Amino acid sequence: MGDILWTGSSRIARYVAYVLLLLAAFWVIFPVLWALVNSVKTVADTFRTGALIPFLTFHPTLAPWRSVLGDPQSRQALLSSTLVSLGTMAFVLVLGTPAAYALARFFPRRSRDITLWFLSQRVLPPAVVLIPFYVMMVALGLIDTWIGLILCYSTFNLAFGVVIMRDVFRGISIEIEESAKVEGANPWQIFMLIALPLAVDGLIVSAVIVFAFTWNEALFASALTSQHAATMPAFILASRSTRGVDFNTASVNTLLAIAPPVILSFFVQRFLARGLSFGAVKG
Amino acid sequence: MAGRAGRRRGGDEGGWFKYAMLLPAVAWVVAFTFFPLISVLHFSFASYVLGQGITGYVGLQNYFNVLTSGEFWHSIAITAAYVAVAVPLEVVAGFLLAWLVSLGAPGSRVFRSILGAPLFTMGVAIGYLGVTLYTDQGGPITGVLSWLGIHIPWFSTGWGGILAAIILDVWRWTPFIFLIALAAIGSIPASIYEAAMLDAGSHWQIMLRLAVPLAWPVMTVAILLRVIEALKVFGLPFALTSGGPGTSTQVFSIADYLTTIQFFDFGKGSAMGIVFLILVSAIITFFFRQMRRNID
Repeated sequence: MGDILWTGSSRIARYVAYVLLLLAAFWVIFPVLWALVNSVKTVADTFRTGALIPFLTFHPTLAPWRSVLGDPQSRQALLSSTLVSLGTMAFVLVLGTPAAYALARFFPRRSRDITLWFLSQRVLPPAVVLIPFYVMMVALGLIDTWIGLILCYSTFNLAFGVVIMRDVFRGISIEIEESAKVEGANPWQIFMLIALPLAVDGLIVSAVIVFAFTWNEALFASALTSQHAATMPAFILASRSTRGVDFNTASVNTLLAIAPPVILSFFVQRFLARGLSFGAVKG
Repeated sequence: MAGRAGRRRGGDEGGWFKYAMLLPAVAWVVAFTFFPLISVLHFSFASYVLGQGITGYVGLQNYFNVLTSGEFWHSIAITAAYVAVAVPLEVVAGFLLAWLVSLGAPGSRVFRSILGAPLFTMGVAIGYLGVTLYTDQGGPITGVLSWLGIHIPWFSTGWGGILAAIILDVWRWTPFIFLIALAAIGSIPASIYEAAMLDAGSHWQIMLRLAVPLAWPVMTVAILLRVIEALKVFGLPFALTSGGPGTSTQVFSIADYLTTIQFFDFGKGSAMGIVFLILVSAIITFFFRQMRRNID
């Protein structure tokens, strides 16, 4: 957008805008800062008034980090979260990308209906189908396993993969694919060697979204795991009810739990709006 | 074959290839969406407690129990209040901030990154952190408020707990609206703004008269998506209050989860799910009508 909106505004309007933005930035940063500061405090410093700035008003310690990272249970939770999220991501892309390509290229008339139908699973409240999934996982012997969670999460996140990737494939010019066809390439070769490489950016955005939603999911994680496959949300909820909240380790756990998807999202932030609105906004 | 004809009329282009590409995903969804939904309907008419299996069919007894349960309606009311307060706050704040960032002030890119950052934070972790933010034993929020002479019983009352969760929800989800609004505002040609700026006195007027109406179709989708996600909320309030005191902060997902996992009453839990689905079906229908218009 042209900068005329900024340069053309009165000085007061610009001040107001800046103050609001600074307040909003402070609002966003404060809880994270609070967690960071508490993650390097001793219990005694946590409840001492005035202990706010590391090195200046209190002596920082890495003890909470050591205690969390040294705890086999939280290490297991981090491992489970990572494996389940990556597994779901891979599964959704492998299953969803070909479907999205087929929708974009071969089903011009029914494409939108099928896409909306895929969307309906994202809209269905997961709590409603918690019981059948639970029963199914018990029957399959997949309670408290990584595979069990990956199966569930793939179902809920497939819509993202299909809808976003379809949007991406539709944006790719069909001309190159046509000339490849003239050269004698078969549809599979065209998909693998031409369409897919051109869609890499879109694939990455879908992957990040699926990773983040899987990483953060708490309901199924809590219901379908107990120890071995408990992901971070399940681990945090369980330790909250058994051990209560210890400020320092709670802060470390919070930071570990929010970091991976947030860091990934910074790389694709500009493209997220389109994916998250299922293509409604052409950003 | 991916040819011109495929683009124009679909016909038989692609042959079996297109079905081979599409069917695995469709089959997966049919298997893991339809069967669970049918099972839930089935269980909702059964007397079904984990360990004993289905011991008989009880007709509408589960539904009767749900519909006459004060706790169930309380959870619906809490969920509705949560959505009704959190989503409008997120929409107004997200759009306003997107507009301010779009003005092109120096440093806008930094603000954009910061304000979008909480988008993918884990609800459970934020709720868990919230315990340390709201506690009256050294929590900064209570500290600042008591300095102002305000006391809010965050954890000892139901409304306090829900309010606390809503504030964190606004922190967590405003970025969602913010990023979509930013894209929507950015997709309006700059020349329109420039022409308007010559007439209007301030950028606020342009926002209200131009940006809001032009971005509205996209914002409708964003709002509906937020409403649908907020109706499902579980982790953030559960980590913050554990549903308490008592059952006062049990939103629907928490109530259903506890019925299922703590009390193992699958019949009642299923009936709760079906009733909830019926209650929100109007919103879901409206969502699909909007999506149909907005995607092509």
